[in-house]
Amino acid sequence: MRRFLSILSATVFSASLLSGAARAGEASVPVLVPLTGFLSLEGTSQRNGAVLALKDAPAGVAVRSEVIDTGTSPEAAVTALERAAGGKVTAVAASMLGTQMLAMLPLAQDYGIPLVTVSGTASITDQGNPWVFRFFPGDAVTKEAHARYVTEELGRKRPAVIYQTTAYGQSGKAHLEQAFKKLGVEPVFEEGVDPAAKDLLPVLTKALAAKPDVLVLHLHSGPTALFIRQAAANGVAVPIVAGSAMHQPSTAALLEPAELKGVCAETAASPISGGSPEVEAFTAAYRAAFNAEPDAFALGQYDGIRMVLAAVQGGADSPEAVRKALSTGTHQGLAMTYKSDGKGNMAHSAVIVCYDGVSRVPAIAKRYDNLTGVVTGMVK
Amino acid sequence: MITLQLLVNGLALGAAYALVALGFVLVLNATAAVNFAQGDLVMAGGLLGVALAPHLPGYLPLPGLLLLPVVLVLMAGLGLLLAAAAYLPLRRRPPVAVFISTIAAGIILQNGASVLFGPEPRAAPPLLSGGTLDLGGLVVAEQSLAIIAVAALLIAGQQWLFGRTQLGRRLRATAQDPEMARACGVPVTAMILITFALGTAFAGAAGLLLANRYFVTPTAGGDLILKAYIAVTIGGWGSVPGAVAGALLIALFEVGVSSVLSYPVALGLLYATLLVILVARPQGLFGEAARRRA
Repeated sequence: MRRFLSILSATVFSASLLSGAARAGEASVPVLVPLTGFLSLEGTSQRNGAVLALKDAPAGVAVRSEVIDTGTSPEAAVTALERAAGGKVTAVAASMLGTQMLAMLPLAQDYGIPLVTVSGTASITDQGNPWVFRFFPGDAVTKEAHARYVTEELGRKRPAVIYQTTAYGQSGKAHLEQAFKKLGVEPVFEEGVDPAAKDLLPVLTKALAAKPDVLVLHLHSGPTALFIRQAAANGVAVPIVAGSAMHQPSTAALLEPAELKGVCAETAASPISGGSPEVEAFTAAYRAAFNAEPDAFALGQYDGIRMVLAAVQGGADSPEAVRKALSTGTHQGLAMTYKSDGKGNMAHSAVIVCYDGVSRVPAIAKRYDNLTGVVTGMVK
Repeated sequence: MITLQLLVNGLALGAAYALVALGFVLVLNATAAVNFAQGDLVMAGGLLGVALAPHLPGYLPLPGLLLLPVVLVLMAGLGLLLAAAAYLPLRRRPPVAVFISTIAAGIILQNGASVLFGPEPRAAPPLLSGGTLDLGGLVVAEQSLAIIAVAALLIAGQQWLFGRTQLGRRLRATAQDPEMARACGVPVTAMILITFALGTAFAGAAGLLLANRYFVTPTAGGDLILKAYIAVTIGGWGSVPGAVAGALLIALFEVGVSSVLSYPVALGLLYATLLVILVARPQGLFGEAARRRA
């Protein structure tokens, strides 16, 4: 019931923060994300991050917003954007589902609305569309960190790569292959797993038969937890470095801390791991608002909307002015420093988190900043 | 040793699938209607297990074995609701009306679960314990053994009900010829309601059993209904032993064949096998064709 009420109250809300200061501007930021369907877990994180950023609007910025569920179809996303575009819109927190983003891009260009997303689909920023801004590192960034940690930090040279057969899995696998190749490492085993597979012992058995020195996963949340549980039950001693699904608190909640011992994962950020007073404040505010644990998607979307609001506070009084600010500016967010690479890719850092076997909260083991070299003044 | 381990895992998975397929075939036999909400009912059973076993600080969560009868009863109640809302008002309409109404019921269940529980995957409590047994190098999850035992008991109980009791005879009479059963004084509507309750209870049990080892999300039902449908098609529409055999065959492909070949290839071979069976024996392996009723 509490969840229902929170969804209901978040569906349509408006905040006006005048705080005695002169009003710097107004921002209308609809949140169009998948709250139902197969991506609802990540979509809910996205919504929560956007809603929290709008609640925390900078002094003097008046905010209007509504949340619309885009489901999983491109048509629903387009309809939601058309509905939102009926009013005066500053920017849109847009779906992380790649197919929905691809459908919304031409419309965003027609209407002149910046789309702020955490979608990982590489092609959304390859369309030459100047209205899209991705506040989450793509596979090119995260998989480089993934491969580098395996080879440089763990010193492993015989990875077994297990990936999902979905578009997400194929993309991650392709980038992992490239990253390993660059590092002079050849995987000894590679296999795709259908998300519907209920038992992962067969693939685990085959992977171990190839005598790997590390198991590299790029699976969705449920399969990641299932694989790690079965590996722990069978006393597998080979280290596991998983994909970003593992960092999500809801994935760790499926496992006992002992099952997680020594497991690491790549991700854009891990807000529950702390790291700075600001991130800890964000995590506390998120817990208080949604009775849930934040993940990297929530933090990425939060940072993205905060950059939009900072632009409005700085005088951007139209969608075009916001687009310019996002295209040319640098934003020190909670997760990382954001700057466009000219195509709308704003995030260029990743972290590796590891579990100690005692708690479900991972510690940040390694940061990889500015992997693309886009953010000036930072060491790659 | 690993082959034995895979066999146990496959049997456990097949046993849970068999419960899903059984519930499906029960309703099919009694009403000639395909209940496409069956997968979502499995999901509802799993989430019911999650809801009934809150982890209170300082208390051990209730074991699944204590929850099982509660889940069975509550899911039977949900089955009655489903029959009253999605089947009885449409029973004299073309079969496609029931087909659509059960799909709609499934969507309502999915979205209701999303609102109540959120989208994240969850684990129901294990039946006894979440541990493993080391039998001389053979590592078996206790939950796997519990799944096999509970599924065998429920299937045997269902066979006893249908084969040895007055109620079972009435249910079978309703399934074979509702008009004749009515003429003989069998309360057909009540029998249909009981069948829905039974089929839904089986789905709930499968959900509780699966949700510990394989987790549950509001959208988990879609894949399960497909597997139930394939199991029933392989075994023969309307055949209870066929549904069980079909379910075990699917699990054999998922766990056994995929341990030699890749999972996508194993799935492809399963569909190819289904095609061969349909060509060679259109009535399925156990060959009880369900008759369409007006």
